[in-house]
Amino acid sequence: MPEVLKAPLVVEFPFARSLGPVQSAFLTGLRERVVLGVRTTDGRSLVPPVEYDPVTAEEIRDLVEVAPTGTVTTWAWNHEPRRGQPLDTPFAWVLVRLDGADTALLHALDAPGPDAVRTGLRVRVRWAEERTGAITDIACFEPYDGDPAEPAGHTGEFEDVVTGIVAPARLDYTYSPGRAQSAYINALADRRNVGERCPSCRKVYVPPRGACPTCGLATSEQVEVGPRGTVTTFCVVNIKAKNLDIEVPYVYGHIALDGADLALHGRIAGIPYDQVRMGLRVEPVWTEGARYPDHFRPTGEPDADYDTYKELL
Amino acid sequence: MSKEPVAVVGIGQTKHVAARRDVSIAGLVREASRRALADAELTWADIDAVVIGKAPDFFEGVMMPELYLADALGAVGKPMLRVHTAGSVGGSTALVAANLVASRVHGTVLTCAFEKQSESNAMWGLSLPIPFQQPLLAGAGGFFAPHVRAYMRRSGAPDTVGSLVAYKDRRNALKNPYAHLHEHDITLEQVQASPMLWDPIRYSETCPSSDGACAMVLTDRAGAARAPRRPAWMHGGAMRSEPTLFAGKDAVSPQAGKDCAADVYRQAGIADPRRDIDAVEMYVPFSWYEPMWLENLGFAAEGEGWKLTESGVTELDGDLPVNMSGGVLSANPIGASGMIRFAEAALQVRGQAGEHQVAGARRALGHAYGGGSQFFSMWLVGAEPPDS
Repeated sequence: MPEVLKAPLVVEFPFARSLGPVQSAFLTGLRERVVLGVRTTDGRSLVPPVEYDPVTAEEIRDLVEVAPTGTVTTWAWNHEPRRGQPLDTPFAWVLVRLDGADTALLHALDAPGPDAVRTGLRVRVRWAEERTGAITDIACFEPYDGDPAEPAGHTGEFEDVVTGIVAPARLDYTYSPGRAQSAYINALADRRNVGERCPSCRKVYVPPRGACPTCGLATSEQVEVGPRGTVTTFCVVNIKAKNLDIEVPYVYGHIALDGADLALHGRIAGIPYDQVRMGLRVEPVWTEGARYPDHFRPTGEPDADYDTYKELL
Repeated sequence: MSKEPVAVVGIGQTKHVAARRDVSIAGLVREASRRALADAELTWADIDAVVIGKAPDFFEGVMMPELYLADALGAVGKPMLRVHTAGSVGGSTALVAANLVASRVHGTVLTCAFEKQSESNAMWGLSLPIPFQQPLLAGAGGFFAPHVRAYMRRSGAPDTVGSLVAYKDRRNALKNPYAHLHEHDITLEQVQASPMLWDPIRYSETCPSSDGACAMVLTDRAGAARAPRRPAWMHGGAMRSEPTLFAGKDAVSPQAGKDCAADVYRQAGIADPRRDIDAVEMYVPFSWYEPMWLENLGFAAEGEGWKLTESGVTELDGDLPVNMSGGVLSANPIGASGMIRFAEAALQVRGQAGEHQVAGARRALGHAYGGGSQFFSMWLVGAEPPDS
């Protein structure tokens, strides 16, 4: 089995979350060291609060302050905190029912070890020193053996309300293009375009996917195509995408390599962008050490007849 | 046993805007759903099941948002399904809901679709860098623009057709209070002078980025009999898929789209869509897709769709009005966009489309597509029950 490639793929974005009235009051409250719940139609206090009654579906807006002290209802020990978690030393994930609340809030408990944690443990909020209106304004919970704190009866009305937060999200993948594409990518390193032919419909896929999407059959017969090809269609990109580092304008082309049965996508250069045309004959231009051609440039051959590539559009 | 006829008795949507910073995602879907319930004069208790749809999760970065939206949609204790078929999802979500009624699994179903694009950046979401591949793709416009060029070459359509579509849809939007874009002083010259983003697609020929939701209440014959307002009746509905890229794919007029339309017309007894259908609301995120879909859906012969556009047939007062609401070009909360098309078709045959009503519309087509012209969903609704 030839080498199957692998590489890290990080998907990361700072999402802008608009909070709506209830979460807005809840997070503003945390900034002011006030924990708010919301009263349901049947009189229970939900912490964290929600906008709609989970039983009746009615809109609920009756905010009620609860105490910063409470009781652990269940927990799990986290041996190896990861990046972005509330504490960087081992801690307990806890559900805490704050005094005055009927539901429990998920957070971290700073404890010396799992032996120090139990269901029923009394805890209190440890406030973060710098608070911005975020769940991290509660730095964590800590064990507490004093009396329940008395909430001050805050109404949930604040000055300078937090209406939105930035919620950064990050997913770390190990990406593998699989056997067929790995073979294609490895051949590209030798500046060869190697696709695969479907045993049934005989179509040549470049890049290959390891299976024919039309026939549903595995492909294995390797076929070298190109290196020259025909521009079947294209667009001129004048707008920069957020994570693309290409100078605009550039030409994004569909290029049918000679011998391939569908076009691949590549950048066309070596010609003014406004002179690129359908049917233009092109060849790849390589840069040292690159995994793929930097771009395709005109070969100088006459343009291909429309009839020779119209089925590839 | 025959299928249960499906009636649309409630329709609601939000005013689509660039950013609804005043509401959470829950608040957004709630707003559209409450309006649909109010239209049907029903309460949460009257709903048997909820079917929700939206485009990819990373468009807002909330994984499986349906889990937390159950409260907002009154779904606690009821079946709740989430559908995802990229940009066509609003249509396929409505069809999944309709099929629950048609199969008599449930009597009355709430269906809702949404997108809150302001929480993310769809162009980022559609251009993720894949290892070992040259990063080239610049969002959906960069993906679809070469196909538009292929259509122009194949049909010989004059360069101006795209601008005519945009000018028409933006003027239609002025009659629709829910549309995102209300460009009161728009002129054809402005559209034609707007910058080229992905040549041959100009800025004014692209859809906006919107926050919005759409909801419908679908019900059976008994529910329709209790409805306070005239229902729209589903006469046909279908979905089809095909791979984004394969040897032999016709990216200009995909086979899956043709097959989907043919299935809907067969169910609805439509022999000649051009003659038998009074109004069409189709998914046109880039203006040239109007003539392309007119051909794909059988309203014009191959290469002839642009002639309908150019001659004014698709204008609001034309012989075959297309995108009366202003279309995706005037509001694009992606996940909701397909359902808005379906809802507009239903509003037309209910006679409730307000200023953008097509007089006497009896049968209307709602259409959506998604992915790289990969998923298709359509329904045909009528003013009369299907068996009458």
